[in-house]
Amino acid sequence: MLNKLALSGIKHRIRDYSVLFSGLMIASAIFYMFMSLATNQAFLSSNSPASATSFIFAFGIVLLAIITIVYINYANTFLLSMRQKEYGMFMMLGAKSSKISRMIFVETFAIGAISTLIGSAIGIVATKFVGQWLISALDMQVKHFSSFYAPALLWTLLFFVVIFAFSAIRNAVSLRRSKVLTLLNRDSQPVKIKRNGVIKAVQAVLGLALLAAGYYTMYFSGNNPGAIYVGIPVALVTIVGGSYFTINAFVTSVIVMLKKKTSFSQKGLNNFTLSQLSFRINDYTKILSMVSIMFALALGAITVGLGFNNQIDNVVNGQNYYDVQVTDPDQAQTKRIKSLNVSKKATYNFKTDGKAVYYRSSQFKSQPVGYSQMNMQTMAFKMKSSNDPANNSNARYELMNTRLPQYRVLDAKFVSDAQYDAINGKETTTVLVKTNSFKNNLPTIKAISKAENKRYPSLKQAGGDKYAAYTIVNGFFSGLEFMGFFLGIAFLAMLASCLMFKILSGANGDVKRYNMLYKIGTKQKVLRSTINKEIAVLFSVPAILGIIHVLIGLQLFVKILYQPYRNIEIPFAIFLVLYLGYYFLTRYLYKKIVLK
Amino acid sequence: MQKIVDVQNVEKIYGKAGEKQFKALSDVNFEVKPGEFVGIMGASGSGKTTLLNILSTLDTPTSGRVQIAGQDITKLNNNQMADFRANKIGFIFQDFNLLENLTAYENIALPLALQNVSTKKIKPAVSSIAEKLGLTEILNHYPTELSGGQKQRVAAARALVHEPSIVFGDEPTGALDSKSARALLDTLAKINRDDDVSILLVTHDPFSASYCDRILFIKDGEIGQELKKEDNSRAEFYQEILDSLGTFAE
Repeated sequence: MLNKLALSGIKHRIRDYSVLFSGLMIASAIFYMFMSLATNQAFLSSNSPASATSFIFAFGIVLLAIITIVYINYANTFLLSMRQKEYGMFMMLGAKSSKISRMIFVETFAIGAISTLIGSAIGIVATKFVGQWLISALDMQVKHFSSFYAPALLWTLLFFVVIFAFSAIRNAVSLRRSKVLTLLNRDSQPVKIKRNGVIKAVQAVLGLALLAAGYYTMYFSGNNPGAIYVGIPVALVTIVGGSYFTINAFVTSVIVMLKKKTSFSQKGLNNFTLSQLSFRINDYTKILSMVSIMFALALGAITVGLGFNNQIDNVVNGQNYYDVQVTDPDQAQTKRIKSLNVSKKATYNFKTDGKAVYYRSSQFKSQPVGYSQMNMQTMAFKMKSSNDPANNSNARYELMNTRLPQYRVLDAKFVSDAQYDAINGKETTTVLVKTNSFKNNLPTIKAISKAENKRYPSLKQAGGDKYAAYTIVNGFFSGLEFMGFFLGIAFLAMLASCLMFKILSGANGDVKRYNMLYKIGTKQKVLRSTINKEIAVLFSVPAILGIIHVLIGLQLFVKILYQPYRNIEIPFAIFLVLYLGYYFLTRYLYKKIVLK
Repeated sequence: MQKIVDVQNVEKIYGKAGEKQFKALSDVNFEVKPGEFVGIMGASGSGKTTLLNILSTLDTPTSGRVQIAGQDITKLNNNQMADFRANKIGFIFQDFNLLENLTAYENIALPLALQNVSTKKIKPAVSSIAEKLGLTEILNHYPTELSGGQKQRVAAARALVHEPSIVFGDEPTGALDSKSARALLDTLAKINRDDDVSILLVTHDPFSASYCDRILFIKDGEIGQELKKEDNSRAEFYQEILDSLGTFAE
């Protein structure tokens, strides 16, 4: 009978339970997604040239495990707060506490097991789709990646089962120990108010000091790669601590300051919003600091991932000046070249006598040959051109790669028109094209390169054109890029749903407050904007801190990546759009709960 | 003389036409004059709360007319209703309904802040009402640090601070011990007498009702008997209420 009652209790709160279930499913799905990469040694070793990758992933596992435990802890509190009143009532009606604690144990464990199973299945599907999408969207080459990876699934199930077993025991014990009256009236129990200015001040200073120490460690480790194995753990500990104290003390102080400024605080509902926030911040410190770290990791992962993508561009553009090179173009190739978006085009003729190749000097006067030159210090490439390749070894090197392999070993000579005409040998025409963008013209460039390889099979081995260089470089970096993007998206989903879950789980307590404000004459519009502001602050505090973490954290990569800060606005924009999506979703769900 | 509250032929029916309907109020007529302290008494389910919700614009009548301070409140849109509540009405609830994350001062100041009253004017207004209700010492406390009686006085101060046309009390003494209840009612009576604030109290407690000038009895959605204090002492009026309740209930 009691079991039946408990089940019907779940039916009545199906909306709250669906929030709980979806939250837990997301958690286990993401855990699986991460594990499918992290435990796949074949994938890690074949896609990353850096030995540190396994180490970084091991660290990621520890971090994600901690986050997941905290997350499930929130979910569990949410569950208990939903159920305690009902269980209290059963106890009041005479149910034995041993029976009740057994029921909550079964309920907690069942919810955990079901959501983990469904979540892992979602994780497998999500891994497949996110993986495919990334691979096709970014033209990646990823080896040994599989969406279903048995060890990952096993680890995920094991991890969640253990955690839920602990949660279930905890719930059972806590219910058994609570008095019936406490259970019945927990909603109406007062919140304790803490006033401790001195401790807050100490915390604020400590928080900023820890952050400074963490930031310096990252800067130092980035510039001294040997220190990275000590640097990352140290930075992690100091930054986690620093974020916690900064949010707890610093943000509270800002709110107190704003509250004291009566010209601001006593306008409309500002004071209410500030008070909500200052109460929330106390309650939210842990999750906000956690989210700021995850935000930084997620954003950092995407930024670094995209940094590797920039690397591809940089290296590829440094290899060849021209995007396309065609020897003696036939009709099909000429047609393809025409469809390119050409920014520079050059046509050179050469003859060979078996000992050397001979170019017309005059052709270079009218169409100088372009070449790329690398600065060994900055790893930056510069595009230059020369109308006198005879005296420019870089230009001669560039030109050499445009010839078919059998002519590359021969010396290149640059002769007058009269000398050229006098040479008795086969003449070859080379058409070189630089497009406005290698990336944008990639499909046609690929088609031209493939056709050239077919026409001259020797090219297949020797390569030499830009597309061949691109294939090699892309294969090298896109594994890293893939990891970055994949982790970034997984972390983002985790952090945002964590934050969303926490905010929504507090919504029930706010219903009364907003109802009261409505009764004393607050317009719906004002109530809505108050909610928007409040949630916006809760979302932006960790975001701002997270962005600062990333900006400084990129120092870790100054020696590994070419210009890690280049094009930084792109990952930031992608990230903020996704994050904003979560903000709007949270805001919408929150209003649905709080406003009638 | 202008009426503060003027209720004419008000009817409230719950449930859609064609379905099972429930008539919560039928043909309710009454008025409250400026400075009057009126009580509405009735048992649970008699329609008290429905009537109060309609008077305070939280609900609308199915038919009839309600005027408060000369304004027909049944013709207002949602925003106008909110403004009306913010400007013209003060509320005291049974369970105080204070915001526990604001101090007493901030709770009292809330209606003024909602009306965007300038900061310079907020402080003297709060101080003056706090002094009247004996709250000066506890203005910086949070509601959880206050006793039930103190909380209700803070709620009363919040209901009065913006000088509303009328204060509605919904069982304001329901959650208080007898001493605090008496203190609160004394205070309300004093404010009614000295400052001419109109008060409408909904209650089923005869003791609270005995502080009123006039009592309307409501039963099954209809206003029945009316009782006036006139020159009686409060103790005599209390006895009279008890007698009426005895006959009214039959």
